[in-house]
This record gives sequence, C-alpha cells and structure tokens, in this order.
Amino acid sequence: MRVAPIPRLIVTRLALSVLSLFVVSLIVFSAVELLPGDTAERILGREATKESLAALRTQLRLSDPAPERYARWLGGIVQGDFGRSLVADRPVFSYIAGYLGRTLLLGGLALLIHIPLSIGLGLLAAARPDGASDLALSAAVLIGMSIPEFVVGIFLIMLLANDLQLFPPLALIDQAKSFGDVIHMLALPVITLNFAMTAYVVRQTRNSMIEVLKSDYVRMASLRGLSPLRVLFVHALPNALSPAINAIALNASWLVGGIVVVEVVFNYPGLGRLLVESIRFHDVPMIQGAALALSAAYIAVNLVADIATLLLNPKLRTRTA
Amino acid sequence: MTNQTRTGVSRRTLLAGAAVLGGSALFPIEQVKAAGGIKTLRIASGEADGVKGTLDPAYGTNDPDAARAGLVFEGLVKLDEAFAVQPSLATAWKPNDDGSVWTFNLRPGVKFHDGSPFTATDVIFSFRRLFDPKTPSPSAAWLAPIDPENIKAVDDLTVEFKLREPVVEFPELIYSHKVVKAGQTNEQVRTAGIGTGAFKVERFVPGEEPSTYVRHDQYWQPGKPGVDRVELRSIPEEAARIAALVSGQVDLFWDLPLRGLTRLEQDKNIVLQTAKTSFWLGLAAWTDTKPFDDPRVRLALKLAANRDQLLKAVLGGHGSVANDQPVAPWIKFGLPDEPRKQDIEQAKKLLAEAGYPDGIDVELYTSASGSGLVELATAYKAQAEAAGIRISINQAPAEDYWSNIWLKKPFIVTAWSGKGADAALARPFLSDAEWNETHWHNDAFDKLILEARRTIDEKKRGELYQKAQELVRDDGGALILLFADAIGATRANVRGWKLHPQKLSQSYVDVTIVD
Repeated sequence: MRVAPIPRLIVTRLALSVLSLFVVSLIVFSAVELLPGDTAERILGREATKESLAALRTQLRLSDPAPERYARWLGGIVQGDFGRSLVADRPVFSYIAGYLGRTLLLGGLALLIHIPLSIGLGLLAAARPDGASDLALSAAVLIGMSIPEFVVGIFLIMLLANDLQLFPPLALIDQAKSFGDVIHMLALPVITLNFAMTAYVVRQTRNSMIEVLKSDYVRMASLRGLSPLRVLFVHALPNALSPAINAIALNASWLVGGIVVVEVVFNYPGLGRLLVESIRFHDVPMIQGAALALSAAYIAVNLVADIATLLLNPKLRTRTA
Repeated sequence: MTNQTRTGVSRRTLLAGAAVLGGSALFPIEQVKAAGGIKTLRIASGEADGVKGTLDPAYGTNDPDAARAGLVFEGLVKLDEAFAVQPSLATAWKPNDDGSVWTFNLRPGVKFHDGSPFTATDVIFSFRRLFDPKTPSPSAAWLAPIDPENIKAVDDLTVEFKLREPVVEFPELIYSHKVVKAGQTNEQVRTAGIGTGAFKVERFVPGEEPSTYVRHDQYWQPGKPGVDRVELRSIPEEAARIAALVSGQVDLFWDLPLRGLTRLEQDKNIVLQTAKTSFWLGLAAWTDTKPFDDPRVRLALKLAANRDQLLKAVLGGHGSVANDQPVAPWIKFGLPDEPRKQDIEQAKKLLAEAGYPDGIDVELYTSASGSGLVELATAYKAQAEAAGIRISINQAPAEDYWSNIWLKKPFIVTAWSGKGADAALARPFLSDAEWNETHWHNDAFDKLILEARRTIDEKKRGELYQKAQELVRDDGGALILLFADAIGATRANVRGWKLHPQKLSQSYVDVTIVD
C-alpha cells in the first residue's frame, strides 16, 4: 500500500508537535519557578517596600501553589487563551503576535538573501575545488562566522551608517514612511545575520556538490551529451542540496529565537528580546507564550525543510510504506 | 507527479510575499506629515522597561516611566538643580507653626488635556489613590505622614494637608508626585494619562516603541511647549544609542556613558551637556559584623581609598570625589569640607589598634548592575591592598544584585541616586530604615534627623543635617567615594534644553528645534 509520504509526514509531525509543545511548557514553567526572586520584586524594583510587595503579590496571585498556577495556564491554552502578562497586565497573545511578526520579517528577509547567496557561493567554490576562489571564499565565510554578530553589527553601523551614511544605523522601523524604508532600515541587521549564517551552508553545498559531480550518474549525463548547465542544475544540484537544506533549516530556527544580540545592537523589538526581558521579570505567561511561539516556529521550519528534502529526492518520495 | 523542481522557487516567492504582507500589516506605517510642518523631538532613554512601562506616577520606577510622566503630568512643586523646591502647579505654600498642616495655593487657569479645569479635587484624588490598597504604590511608604482622609479642599484652588506628624520639608517630600485628573481608573492613568503637562499622550502601548505625545494646546505657560510632538523610545545598547544620535535618528538623550566620549566631543552636529549630580558610588559594610564592627576598621577602609584615582578609573574623570557622606557640597545643606586623602600608614595603624596587625581578608560583592560598580571594586581592591586590606571580589549576576546581594551580604559595592539632604541621609542610615545597608545604629544620628525634621528654622535645620553628615562620615559603615556626573547630548539644532542633575526631573517644555 502506498501512502503519500508528504501528508503522512505532516500529520505525524503535527501530532508529535502538540506533545513537544506540552513538554516545552512544563520544562519552561519549572525552570522559571527555580529562578530566585519573583515578579513582584522585579516589577517594583529596588525601591519597593514590604507592604507594596505584599499587595502586588496578592494582586498577581503569586502565592498560589505552582501546580495550581500551571494548571490554570494550561486550562487557558486548551481554550486558545494565552493568558495575561503579569507585568504588562495585557493579553499575552497581542504581544506574541507583534513580536513574532517582526522576527519573521527580519528572519524572512535574512533568509531571502541567505538561501541564494550561500548556495551560490557553495556552487562557486565547488566549481574549482581547492582553486584560488574556493580557498578565498572558504576563508572569507569562516572569518565572517567567527566574529561575534555583536562586533560585526557595531562595525557595520560605524562603517556603513555613520561614515558612509548608506543605511540608517538602527532598525527603528516605526520611523519608516514606506515599506522601502523598512527594507532600508533592516539592511544592516540582514547583512549582519548573513555574516553569521553563510559559512556552514557554503561548506555543505560545496562538499556535497563536489561529491555529486564525481558520481557515476552525473558523468553518465555528461557522456550522454547534455549541456553542462543542464547537468549542473537539473541533475546534480537537486541531489546536492539536501545537506544544504538541513543547514539552512538550522539557521532558520536560529533566526527565530537566537538573534537577541542582533536585535539589541539594532534596537529591533523581536521575539528573542521579548523572551529575555520576560525572563528578567519572571513573567510566566509571557515566557510560556514566547517559548511556545518559538517552539512552534522551530517545528514548522524543520517540517518545511523535511518536505523540501523529500521533494528534491525522488528516492525518498516514492518509497513504499 | 508534482513538479517538484519548481518548489524551491515558489517557496522563495512565498517568503517574499509573506514578508511584504507581514510588513504592511504589522507596522501601521505612519502617514507622511505635511513636510516641515510638524516639529518632532525624538528622545532616547538608555534604560528599557519593555512591557512593564507605565505612565502612572504611582508606579513609575525607571527612567522611561519618569520621562513619560514628566511629559504628561506635573507636580505641585518641582526641584531645581540644587534640589530646592520651586512652584509648578502650586504657586505658593505655607506650613502652620510646627509644620503639621500645609496649605497649597493652586495655579488658576490650568487646563487638563481634555479641556477640564485643574482644581483641588484633582490634587486630593491624586494623593489619595497612592494609599488605595488596590494600588500597590511603592510611594506610599515614603508618604506615611500623609493622612489620605485629611487632605481637604479649602476652596477650588486651595488644598490643605493635615499630616499625622510635622514634616518641615513637606514640599520636598512630594515633589515627584504628579497630579492626574480626578476620576481616572488605574488603567486610564497608566496608558492614556490625562494630566496638565505640556504634552498629551498620542499613543502609548506598554512594550511597543516608541510612545508618542503631541502638544497640549491649552498649556498654561504661554507659547510653550516649543515642539509639536515628542517620540520617546529606549535604546539600551550604548554604541547603538550614540550611533542613532550621530546619524540623526534621535535628537536627545540624558544618559551618556562617562567613558569613551571623544568621538562625540568632536562631532559638530552634537552638543554635550554635563551636570553635577549627587548620584553616589561606594562600598557598604555591615557595622555589626566582624571586622567592620570596629569603627577603626571602618575608618581604615575609608583612608585606604585614593579617591582622585578612583574618579579617573571608574568615571573617566566625569564626576567629583565624595567624602563618605551622601549630601554633595552643592546640594542644599551639604557639608562643604575637603574629601579624605589616602593615608595608608594611618590605615595600617588603625587596623593594628583594632587587633588586626596583619591586615584583614574580606569578600566584596559587586555586579554589572550599574555603570562603574565592577570597576570600582577592582580599583579599590588594588588600592586597599597596600594597607593590608586583602579583598576577594565576588562578581554576582547583575539581574539579581539588588534583590539577592544588596542588604543580604556584609560587604558590597553600592550606588544611590541623588536625593535631597533628608532623604539621602535618612533612607540608608536611620537605624530602622528598611534599606539600612550598613546595619548602622546610631542614636545620636537618629535624634539629629528627627529633630531636623521638626525644625522650621532653615538655618538651624541645616546645622542639624550637617552634624548628621559628620556622624555618617566618621563612624558610618559606608565608603561614599564618588559622585557621578550626568552627561546628556542633543543634536546641535535642539535648543532650550538643560540637563537636570536628577534624571526624573528632565523637562522638555522649553525645547525648540531650529532648521
């Protein structure tokens, strides 16, 4: 019996992801419980008095037992209610939507450059393995990856924004008057992110392309007299892409949650920053919401990558169940 | 089957589409204003408060909160640069004989943002809500002498505070408490804040940057404010904040780092401003714990410090040396004496007399929770070594420092924001103070403060506060080493702003932007 592998993959993954999200929420909740201090202390700050702390704790129901608070939160989630942020005293959902949206915008733009750029560079490197261009490229992308994003970001701000004045230094997208302005403001963070992401994908593409080009079927294709371009793009590339896609998927999941440093340098309010700030305030519902959004995005990215791999690889696609 | 070879392309197209769609939906792109018509002042704070942000003067604890409240609300009085009170919504005030009843005359003709007149009712409402159990305001504890039931409107423009006890510096006590329009809910005050300030809220959602404000057309100072609109945002990363000013993305901020300013000093599009403040940095030792329980050891610790060197190392020279007491000489009632000089021999001698001929070993806690705290620990450690004070530094996590280390460890690096004489002395040093970080119990000191608080005569009161400063200086457990300057900066086309030494007292009423 043949089951279409892609729908099956999607269904299994979605089922598993519900379970993963539940586990994630439990772990995150317990981790926050273990942190010293509480939300009331963080909200009122150093100058708080005992009386005001006590009043706020009562108001936020912080003295309820932890399992009770978790159950209350979970009960809400099941009904699609993400709860209220303890600190903002507003629905968590409105924040997650806004912050996730901005993260996806920045991440999406970065990927838009990242995918063709790194694969292109990988192909270029594979064209003449160990030639001068290959070595120079490898060295360049490795250096780009090794410098912390923070340093790259500040350097780009000084060079491209303050000295050459090509771009605005910070991504203050609220000041944008058109979508073109938004792109212009996001240019520096996008470049910074690409510095960090390129090396790995270039290496993967280069290595697997070299392998594939040596394989019998590619030689066969050439011997059959197909044009070199056709051999390269139609026969060799799809097979060489699988490792690159996995590397890109890794980068994509990093883009969703791990780019706090870049967000801070360019003053861009993304999900990573929301999460870090919420942890600082022990804002459990907000942390949970952000963590769930991150995990969901992570699962989605990997699902997309797997589907892409399947589509590119006829062997996997047609295997019988 | 499927035409799989195209998927790569279509996915990319999809991403681009999503980005474009997402972009336009997420950022309500501001309508382009008539060119040149609207003058917007763009302010950046170095502190971020994220979703915690509020306009409510009952809660505001950090810089952006204070900036928001300062734009939208006004107090009865305000502090000038020497921390003396000046009229604001009140034009005059006077106490009864012992300072237990205070009467404020309110400014006539003041209008709230919604056009309604400002009266005594609003003052009463604004103070009473601080004591409402449903409003856990950290201010309530400081305002304990106020009896919320005994704030009375004598007439529409006269308010009387009948206090539980005499407070001769009552205006100083309430300067930071702003007046909000009566009848607003906490949520309204938090985000929509109807006040009498020069600007009214255009848009403020906690956690969404920036918050924006537009001019209050009926503001009581004629011809003010000088700009039409204010944008306030946080840019916590220092390098980013400076880059934004240099490239013109923001116009003004009040908290530059004290080191590494050369580049800005040379930029002719930028104007730097410095203000002396009484924000102090120092060390606090528990005076009931060995070895700090011996006053000779405390004095030795103080004598081991080379303050001029610390000033350069910790603040890059942007500040003043302090003399182990918290009231700076330029603050009202501050002791005008010369700071202690380093005296290693004397310090050694005192340690030996106290029974430590071989010196002492102590553990000092610090953290990166404030600028210069780690540098201070390191620099002091090096200086104290010569006197036989061997310090091991324990750098604690910055996040928890003020809740888990401060008040909980016997020897720490500490810092206090600038305050008037009474608050600067009483809050850390009164025996029963909640924040007695040195565990210092000195009856003579307590008596001096309480007596000063009952002394209406200003000259006599000053003498009492100065005697109290001497006690802290010579016997207290705090090494008050440095007062840090505040440094602010504006674009060169911003006029009329003067950096206030107290962050929360910045005013933008007089600011104009020239073309």
